[in-house]
Amino acid sequence: MFRFQSLDEDCTLEEEEEGLIEEEEEIDQFNDDTFGAGAIDDDWQEEHKRLAELDKRDGLGAEGGGGMGRDLDFGGAEESSSTLLTPSTGRPPLPSSLPSLNFAPSSRLPPLDSEDRGGGGDLVESLARFILDADPAIAGVGTTERPVPSLSSSGSSISSLQGLEPSRVLSRHSSMPQPTHLQHPPRPSQHQLPPGPSSSGLSSAAASPSMLSYQQQQHMLHRGSVPISQMNSHNIWDNSMGFGPVSMSPGLATHMEDSPLMSIIKEVGLPKLPPHGRNDEERDLSERVPPPRSSSPVIGSPPVRAVPIGTPPKQPISHSLNHQSHHPTAVHVRAPLQHRYPPPFPERLSPNTLLNIANSPLGRSPFPPGVGPVLSQIKRAQLLNSQVAGFPRGGPAPPMLPGGGGFRPFFGGPPPPHGHRMGPMPPHGPPNHTPPIRHNTTHLHPQHRRMLTQRMQSRGGDRGRTGGDRRSRDPYSNLMTQKEKEWVTKIQMMQLQSTDPYLDDYYYQNYYEKMEKRQEKERDSSSRKEHTTKLITPQVAKVEHTYRPVQFAGSLGKLTVSSVNNPRKMIDAVVTTRSDDEEKREKQVWNKRRQILYTVEKMYSLLLEVQDFEKRFVQTPEEDREALLEQHKQNTEQLCNSMREKEWEDRVSDEQCVMIMSVRKGKRLVARLLPLLPSAQAAAIVMAIARNLPALTKKDKQDQVLCWLVEPVSAVIQSLSSSALTDLLQELQGSEGQLATVLQNKFGVTLLYLILSEGEKMQSSDPNCQLMDDNRWTELVFSVTRELLSVSSSSLSAPLFTPANLLSLFSRYVDRQRLELLQNKLQITALSR
Amino acid sequence: MSTELPAKEQHKMNYVPGTASLIDDIDKKHLVLLRDGRTLIGYLRSIDQFANLVFHQTVERIHVGKKFGDIPRGIFIVRGENVVLLGEIDVDKPCDTVLQQVSIEEILEEQRLQQQAKQETEKVKMQVLKDRGLSVPKADNLDEY
Repeated sequence: MFRFQSLDEDCTLEEEEEGLIEEEEEIDQFNDDTFGAGAIDDDWQEEHKRLAELDKRDGLGAEGGGGMGRDLDFGGAEESSSTLLTPSTGRPPLPSSLPSLNFAPSSRLPPLDSEDRGGGGDLVESLARFILDADPAIAGVGTTERPVPSLSSSGSSISSLQGLEPSRVLSRHSSMPQPTHLQHPPRPSQHQLPPGPSSSGLSSAAASPSMLSYQQQQHMLHRGSVPISQMNSHNIWDNSMGFGPVSMSPGLATHMEDSPLMSIIKEVGLPKLPPHGRNDEERDLSERVPPPRSSSPVIGSPPVRAVPIGTPPKQPISHSLNHQSHHPTAVHVRAPLQHRYPPPFPERLSPNTLLNIANSPLGRSPFPPGVGPVLSQIKRAQLLNSQVAGFPRGGPAPPMLPGGGGFRPFFGGPPPPHGHRMGPMPPHGPPNHTPPIRHNTTHLHPQHRRMLTQRMQSRGGDRGRTGGDRRSRDPYSNLMTQKEKEWVTKIQMMQLQSTDPYLDDYYYQNYYEKMEKRQEKERDSSSRKEHTTKLITPQVAKVEHTYRPVQFAGSLGKLTVSSVNNPRKMIDAVVTTRSDDEEKREKQVWNKRRQILYTVEKMYSLLLEVQDFEKRFVQTPEEDREALLEQHKQNTEQLCNSMREKEWEDRVSDEQCVMIMSVRKGKRLVARLLPLLPSAQAAAIVMAIARNLPALTKKDKQDQVLCWLVEPVSAVIQSLSSSALTDLLQELQGSEGQLATVLQNKFGVTLLYLILSEGEKMQSSDPNCQLMDDNRWTELVFSVTRELLSVSSSSLSAPLFTPANLLSLFSRYVDRQRLELLQNKLQITALSR
Repeated sequence: MSTELPAKEQHKMNYVPGTASLIDDIDKKHLVLLRDGRTLIGYLRSIDQFANLVFHQTVERIHVGKKFGDIPRGIFIVRGENVVLLGEIDVDKPCDTVLQQVSIEEILEEQRLQQQAKQETEKVKMQVLKDRGLSVPKADNLDEY
């Protein structure tokens, strides 16, 4: 060891200055080694020196660092070998030329093999060199003191090469330069080599030179041999491990002992050559996965997946375990989800094995379970079909393993078929269509689920039979595997995720609620248990939307990243008011309207929250319920207050009411609001409506939305006391000619009738009612009847409905003649609605 | 509420009840109308989340008047966005149509004639409009069929 080192040291001393000079002249602006990563590490200096050294020494053009890309070219190899032959004496041949043989893809190996057997000294030589170079340790060793490879030796080497023990080959070559020294180290090492790589000849030798080489190298190193570094090797490993004759820097000295790099290499291994010899169809698709994306810093953005969601599931492959190693663990910031999607990669049990288990009573499959997976799509489909045709069609399909292998969020029952094996898929009834797969349908409405299972069971047999027959004759069916189908369905289900199902999927939820209610009515109590199960749709927890930009310590300012979830504010819009008088007036009108609209909107949102309160209450967990209740109370209060006057907190503001009702949406709002308000306030609002009815009707001419109010108003009226009722009637007739206007309007007439009917109800039900206490009621009714009679039939609008008891009401107050007239006019019959 | 739906619908709710999915249509014979006006008939073999369709033993059916002709096309992959409508063909149902199948050459000839006639009427129309000083912009970019 020391011998070689000293040699190197000597060389270093001689050449160092020249190397240094070269350095300065060769400052390369674009080269990493000058400014980039290469410059930071110490290694480049040594490396450079080595490079310079070897360049100088060889006297041939340095071939730069591009050894890797070189294909083994026989012509070139031959040339290089021939050139190498020429410089004589103890000068080691140019390692830079060696890379031409270096790490050749294994595709070269077969020709090598053949060529080798064909003989030819040069070829053998190049071959030898190739092997040597493939093993950097040995190459290094070889090149330090390799004498000019003689043809004679190459002749003998042919047979040895054919001999095929790679270690033997290697040792052979290493023995060439240093017959004494290295023969022993490789020998013992060869026994320690794993049996695999050293199996067969040259091809394997070259195919796994890396494996071999590093182990060999290790031994070399431990022995203290000094291989020459691979100058132009593509591997930094090589350089750091090789010992150049140039330098014996302290950094490198550590490499002699167990270097950390060595240990790393031991663990990780070298970058693999594409193994052309192996079967291509088994190539793992995940090898082609793009490098792992850096995660988006935005919270709530979709997680970075190793393989994008849109990737279809892979075909089953033998070395499934490789998958795990190929998954880059993407680090992403992400709010915890309630549902996690299992990785699209292998489950523990393949569906094929499961089906085998499940269907073994049906018959033995002709293939043993250990059959390799290399069936193409068509073959698999055909296999399936043949199986389908073969098996008898008897009864319902065999039951699937319940919950076998673990549940996925959506698909229970057998786990999705990611096959480790591609054994035959025994049929289970019809191949595709009504298999009794019990999906995990807990997320579906129980009604749905029930229908589903019912249908499957009842129809699974007969329908499947006919369809299945046809499909069994189709040799191309089942090209789309179960796994793929589930993958597509999974994607569809993902789209159904929502944070707020009542918001996103309102119609589905409500429809099934209604159905449930209807079912409850129809069915007896015995089946009531089924209905109490809750409907669960895949829900994702609401993600926080706050985004604080990433900030690096010591940097100026923040990194602003604009993404879909965190759009950047582009324009700062500032509101400026113009103080033009004319425009002001016009604007005022607009502003008022806008104000009304704004108020209406705000009230609406409050209203919706209040109305949705119940639903949300049921759904929220226990802890949050208090808060929700609190909020609900606040909302209702706010709503109530909104209708009130500013000065007097008690009275309902007429003006406000009218304003709101002047807008179409406002009327609807009031209609929805009335049932929620406390009765006093509701009554007050109805009073206000009655009071201002003419104005309202005028505004409503276009919209005709007032009729929406009938229902809630009637509800309110029915809850009124007699005095209140009287007041209401009074309000209705308040100003001059009001009644006439009222009668012209549908809503007005309806309202009037409602009031009268209510009064009649009161009177008839309770003879002691206070309605008759003062004469107001009677007088009012009289005036109403007067008006009704006097007004022309054409201007009298038809009400929405005519209460039945109007007749009895009028009969109390008017004489027969008038009664008849009224009857005709109003078309009140005893049986009218 | 009755839980009995017609037989055809029942097996549809296979995987995800309540949604529309093409999973149940796989391996069945379908007719698809594309945006460019073509009609394809074939066995639907595979789908994906974009409703891209893989058809097997596809036949392009050209209709001209009461005649139609089938051109065998093999395997088709249709991009989902180009599908106008897709429907299953019930192979069991007896086919009693007034349409008459003719040979490929004939139907192509008929189609050519139809196109020609159309073009001519179009030309005449344009000419008439031009004479009156009006012009209708040619709808080149629209999907027309």
